[in-house]
Amino acid sequence: MYGGGNIFEPLDKSNIKDEDPVKLAEFEARIERGEKIEPTDWMPQLYRKQLIRMIEQHAHSEIIGALPEGTWITRAPGFKRKLALMAKVQDEVGHAQLLYSAAETLGKSREQMINDLINGKSKYSNIFNYPAYTWADCSFISWLVDAGAIVNQVANSKGSYGPYCRALERICIEESFHLKYGHHCVIHLATGTPTQQKMMQEAINRWWPPMMHFFGPPDKISVHTEVLMKWKVKMATNDECRQQFLDMYVPKIWELGLTVPDPIINKNQETGKWDFSEPDWEEFKRVINGDGPCNKERLAVRRMAEERGKWVRDALRNSEEQYVTPLA
Amino acid sequence: MGTGCFKKFRRTVCYTPGIVSMEESLDPRVNRLPGTGEWKQEYEKHSLDQFPTFEVFVQAKEDKPFQHEGIVHAPDSNFAFLFAKEQYSRRYSCSGMWVVNTQNVLVSDYTENSQNIYDTLDLDPEKGPLMPYEVFHLMRRGKQHKHVGRVEASGKNHALMEAKVKFDSDKPVMNTWVVKSSDIFQTQNEHKTIWDTLPLKQFREATDYRGGEKIREFKAKQKE
Repeated sequence: MYGGGNIFEPLDKSNIKDEDPVKLAEFEARIERGEKIEPTDWMPQLYRKQLIRMIEQHAHSEIIGALPEGTWITRAPGFKRKLALMAKVQDEVGHAQLLYSAAETLGKSREQMINDLINGKSKYSNIFNYPAYTWADCSFISWLVDAGAIVNQVANSKGSYGPYCRALERICIEESFHLKYGHHCVIHLATGTPTQQKMMQEAINRWWPPMMHFFGPPDKISVHTEVLMKWKVKMATNDECRQQFLDMYVPKIWELGLTVPDPIINKNQETGKWDFSEPDWEEFKRVINGDGPCNKERLAVRRMAEERGKWVRDALRNSEEQYVTPLA
Repeated sequence: MGTGCFKKFRRTVCYTPGIVSMEESLDPRVNRLPGTGEWKQEYEKHSLDQFPTFEVFVQAKEDKPFQHEGIVHAPDSNFAFLFAKEQYSRRYSCSGMWVVNTQNVLVSDYTENSQNIYDTLDLDPEKGPLMPYEVFHLMRRGKQHKHVGRVEASGKNHALMEAKVKFDSDKPVMNTWVVKSSDIFQTQNEHKTIWDTLPLKQFREATDYRGGEKIREFKAKQKE
């Protein structure tokens, strides 16, 4: 689950000029033909750097994203929900493993990626810096945050980097269970007792602003992404993903008798696009830069897991080993 | 909208979008643990703290070739198999699995424009006793390496030259991997019941979650 392809920092495009023009032309022609780029191929520095950043953020988002849901496993209503949520959380952690591996083929070690996460140098999907107070919050994440992630991941799975696409194909298949399971949880609450209905509605109200943040700032204020679109690193703009999400899921929320906390949300019949209120982008910036309700806790839990597992890793370590980059 | 107060143990957390504060975790397990405060020092993992990588090959069904699916990090091949079984066969059918340390794979060059890798290979074969080697082919970009068979050779270069004779065909091969068979951890066919748990876990399948009926009932009730 992830709001993929967001560019949080301006791109430094200066080094494109320094690339070998013949190789760059061959590289771009290959992408133009729809062929995949594999780890051993020549690639521009910017392509490598941007992909590492994007895949790494995606991996971190899977790990951190499993934390708010993981908290609810013991309190999920009923044994079957517990089993299902446990399987879902395990899937998310498995996705992180697949994604870290894909990023490693580009030359950044897993140790370095984990250091950068724990030290607060890498970003992850901002929505997981918010707390899941109730079972309805957990159900919102399982259904709608995963739905948003699927919109992004399906787009990105058609990108140009072979190992990332292969990881995403596998991930998307697993996500189909998450989506149906999450929808099932929400249907259960929305068609249940008045207390359950109220609980679900309150969760939607809480999560809607971060859900609108999820796809990143609007295209008109985002940093330029043309070169990344051309190289098929980013496959759809933030606005395109957000529109697709609204189109697919707002009607499904409405059909359950629930509302979206936005007075102007409506599909504009003339433009065919959804009108919606812009969420508070200052809050987005503040939270993604560390000042959200759960940022500290999320990283603290991750760091604690690292430190508590250290003696096991040290005991198993074979000092004869040498690192080689994984193959594909 | 979206304002709510939640009684949590001995205190109350108030939440309003935009103005949020959390004093302690909503996860009681986190609150019980020591050391959730701030760390002063940068965290630094040493090189290979996460262990080396193993390449994982999965046989989806008994008549299918072993196909490369990805990697796991592990201290040795036993652990690698354990992690790979969880990672790559948890949600997919599987009838066999091979894992091999990435260092033990000899990778040929990648060819361009439908050139056959075997047409470019002219290596000096090693001398010595013959040992079995497994050969994997990549036919197209974006696809995965598949096992094509075994050759007897004195070393990896020799194995590649033997593969050139044994597995060359009309279809151009883009890239070849060879691995000494004894370097591969292979699951045994006689243990195949280890793969049998999958179909029982319906709760992990999308098909197990049908909400349509409930929605229809709900809508009918609303119309009344």
